Amino acid sequence: MIEVGELVKEYRSGGGTVRAVDGVSFTVHQGEMVGLLGGNGAGKTTTMRMLATLLQPTSGTARVAGRDVRRDPLGVRRTVGYVSSTTGVPDRLTPRELLDSFGRLHGLGPNRRAERLARLADTLALGGFVDRPCGRLSSGERQRVSLARALVHDPAVLVLDEPTSTLDVLGSRDLLDLLDLLRAEGRTILLSTHRLHEIEHRCDRFLIISGGRILADGTRAALTAGRRGGLEEAFFATVQPETAS
Amino acid sequence: MNGPRHTGGWGARIAIARRDLLEFIRDRRAVFITLVMPMAMYPLLALSSTLGIRGAITELDNQRAEARLDLVLSGIDAEAFAARMAEVANRGSEPPEGWPGSFTIRMATEADAQSLLDQGAADAWIAVDQGSMAGLDGDDTVPLDVRLSSVRPPGRHVREHVVTVLRGVADDARQRRLARAGLPASLIEPIRFAFSGDEHPSGTTTLREILPTAVAAVLVLLALLTATGAFYPAIDAIAGEKERGTIETLLIAPCTAFDTVCGKFLAVFAVTLATLLANVLSIALTSSVLVRLLPLGPGSGLHAGGAAACIAVTLVAYLGVAAVAAALCLAVTAAAKSAKEAQNTLTPVVMLIAALAASALLPAAETRRWLPVVPFAGQVAVARASLGAFGDRSAADERTAAHEAAEPSGIAFGLTASLLSSALLTWLLLQLTAGLVSDEEILFRGPDAAGGGIRRPVPRTVPSIGQGFAATLAGFAALWYSQAFSPHEFVPALLVQQACAVLLPLTAIAWWQRIDARATFSLRWPGAAPSGLAATVVAAILLGVGLFLAGAAAALAVWGGDVSEEARNLAERLVDLVRSAAAWQGVLLLAVMPAVCEELLFRGWLLSAFAGERPAAKRAAAAVVVQAAAFAAFHLLPERMPQTFVLGLVLGWLTLATRSILPAMIAHAAHNATPVVLIATAKADDLEALEAGGSAALPPWVIAAAIGCLVAGGLLLAAVRVGRQAREQ
Repeated sequence: MIEVGELVKEYRSGGGTVRAVDGVSFTVHQGEMVGLLGGNGAGKTTTMRMLATLLQPTSGTARVAGRDVRRDPLGVRRTVGYVSSTTGVPDRLTPRELLDSFGRLHGLGPNRRAERLARLADTLALGGFVDRPCGRLSSGERQRVSLARALVHDPAVLVLDEPTSTLDVLGSRDLLDLLDLLRAEGRTILLSTHRLHEIEHRCDRFLIISGGRILADGTRAALTAGRRGGLEEAFFATVQPETAS
Repeated sequence: MNGPRHTGGWGARIAIARRDLLEFIRDRRAVFITLVMPMAMYPLLALSSTLGIRGAITELDNQRAEARLDLVLSGIDAEAFAARMAEVANRGSEPPEGWPGSFTIRMATEADAQSLLDQGAADAWIAVDQGSMAGLDGDDTVPLDVRLSSVRPPGRHVREHVVTVLRGVADDARQRRLARAGLPASLIEPIRFAFSGDEHPSGTTTLREILPTAVAAVLVLLALLTATGAFYPAIDAIAGEKERGTIETLLIAPCTAFDTVCGKFLAVFAVTLATLLANVLSIALTSSVLVRLLPLGPGSGLHAGGAAACIAVTLVAYLGVAAVAAALCLAVTAAAKSAKEAQNTLTPVVMLIAALAASALLPAAETRRWLPVVPFAGQVAVARASLGAFGDRSAADERTAAHEAAEPSGIAFGLTASLLSSALLTWLLLQLTAGLVSDEEILFRGPDAAGGGIRRPVPRTVPSIGQGFAATLAGFAALWYSQAFSPHEFVPALLVQQACAVLLPLTAIAWWQRIDARATFSLRWPGAAPSGLAATVVAAILLGVGLFLAGAAAALAVWGGDVSEEARNLAERLVDLVRSAAAWQGVLLLAVMPAVCEELLFRGWLLSAFAGERPAAKRAAAAVVVQAAAFAAFHLLPERMPQTFVLGLVLGWLTLATRSILPAMIAHAAHNATPVVLIATAKADDLEALEAGGSAALPPWVIAAAIGCLVAGGLLLAAVRVGRQAREQ
């Protein structure tokens, strides 16, 4: 569902260029939930923004549901749902109005929009605040609205950049439970987070990225094989082998 | 999970517009400021101005009522003359028409009379010499010497009053002479007339004189307030979305950046349009109230049909104001990261809109046929002309060029031109905004504070685009402010203008930026071999001469003698300078100096700023056009702009083609030197004949010479280029 090959992204900075993503390659199969792990500045967000067509790759290829992010960005947008930690919701609109407007943007008719709203309100438990302005919602409720917005067009692929970073422990658990549900529906999910323990037992596979390069790609079992400790220790051993215990 | 659906296009645009409008109407403060404030502003303005106008009219009336004349008479016959004046004044129940309300006469010696005048104690002194009364009562013409005080207070119509009083005495003397000759008084009074009917209320004439100016000012205010309707929604539409983190959600929607921008434009345009309607409604209602409050007199103002036509034309014309303002505000705020940054960037936009709208009120602006295509000025001009066309114009109005614009056909032309130019400009601005919205550097860069405020930038090879605009703005600002201390004499003024408007800003900004002067100003020899250099110099001279002759022929064909007063004055001053100075001085001042200074600015700084270090063909072409437009604007006079724009295009191309600024300097100097040499070598009779002829066309041989110079110059340059390419290979 997601196929990335030798993906490169360079930024202009001062007088020169900075390579934020440096030849990244990986695949996420249909129905998989894959965790993209890395420190700040490792290249996670840049990679995910390229997959969501917010950034143009400098070189390399990226295909989402068979569509190339450079050649067919509109096709990619129809099949992907994207949420990041900085994604906001408009304070003065209610969740119902927000979902309705994005349903229109995705070309859904009135009946289909009503059906999707009812389904999402049920799945994501929006019922209690669906007609309340988003500005009056808690951060957990806002993040659920944001996820509903990303799901309104029923996308096959979800790209979620640190979706739990603004949530408390309970809110994070609720959101990750929802992601389990969505994966069970057959959706492909690429997810990044700094809280490794939250997704350690939820994701099918993990990609460890550092300095714009993929350093490891495997299941939890494969990454932790031969090491003491869990995913966190495996992560440290991969990105900082010299300091790993 | 669904398959592909039809997305993007108008469906997406309307969905975004609907969403933005919904957000806007939930913001009570923005709605109040945008829609309700104008409704309150016009009544407040009208109330204060009405009170001011009424006060001014009352004061004027009082001044008129208090109009007085203090006379001092000297001479032997002074007392008898004063008695005759009093007799004339008191003959009827009222003093004769035009006599001052209060009238005093004093007798004095000549020395005292002069002293009274110098102190302002008397308005006028009449010396009545001996024999004056005898002459008056006889058949002579009596000479009277009247001296006016130079320190009398303003507002006194002394000269008119003295003339009225003396005419009264003269009429009296005429009647006495007729009676003495036994002739009837009707001999010198073939007509006697009396006024009846309702006269205009007091102050009506004054009010009617100031009314057109007041209405024009309201039209400018309407343009500005309509444009301000775009501010809040535009800030919220893009910068606000960035601040809230919601812009990403739109940019990953299945539509193009242009669709997104169009949707946002529709929302901002709708709010701006609502602001326009609120303003027009408030103006219409306030005007109806004013008609009742002010002494406009019978037959004043517009009839119902005329008023409706004026409002309709204004509304249609101001659709352009709303569209361009909405697109302009979106474009400006698209480059901002936060609402605060967007507010800061909109401040100069307000100034620009106000300046453009007010430029429609400049003297003789309505005679400029191209004015309707100028954003903000054009709409004001069209609305103003509609008042003339559908308003209460007298049939005896003079049919001048200014009035042609106020004919219904002129309105239709102006309205069409204005709408087309607004549509084109709006589309261009939306394309620009679409580029800015999806620009990764703008979208994901840090907050503006990270820029570090005022700090000397790192050295660059050539200036940035922003520094190109900065140098242009600095040049225009210097051009304006240097007028405050520029000498009145033409030559020193020219030197100050070139130094202040070109060299100083350029030196300052080049020093600040630490650019590579050789690369920025293309300071290179145009050809390596001596033959190539010589051929390039000759080609540049031919192009300069040819461009001047072709430009002059075209200008004469288009403008004829119908040029502005400013253009005529400038031409006269140039001719005077060339005729009064040696030819070499004229060439140095008018050709060499501007060629060096202006080329450094336009083909040096601006061209390299807009084109970049190694420009692609499209960017190079855009850079040539932009610097040529700035070059044309720098020459201020509209009549000269087409010619200077073409000159700027050719000089820009010449600089890029030869990779040197020297050919452009030589061509520019040759262009400016051509008229200097022609005037210096022309016979005085020829010049007088040309001045008398006004719109005389140039003889055919001049046009042939222009074409010959341009073709020869172009071919020579092409040959040099081919030779250079062959050597490089």
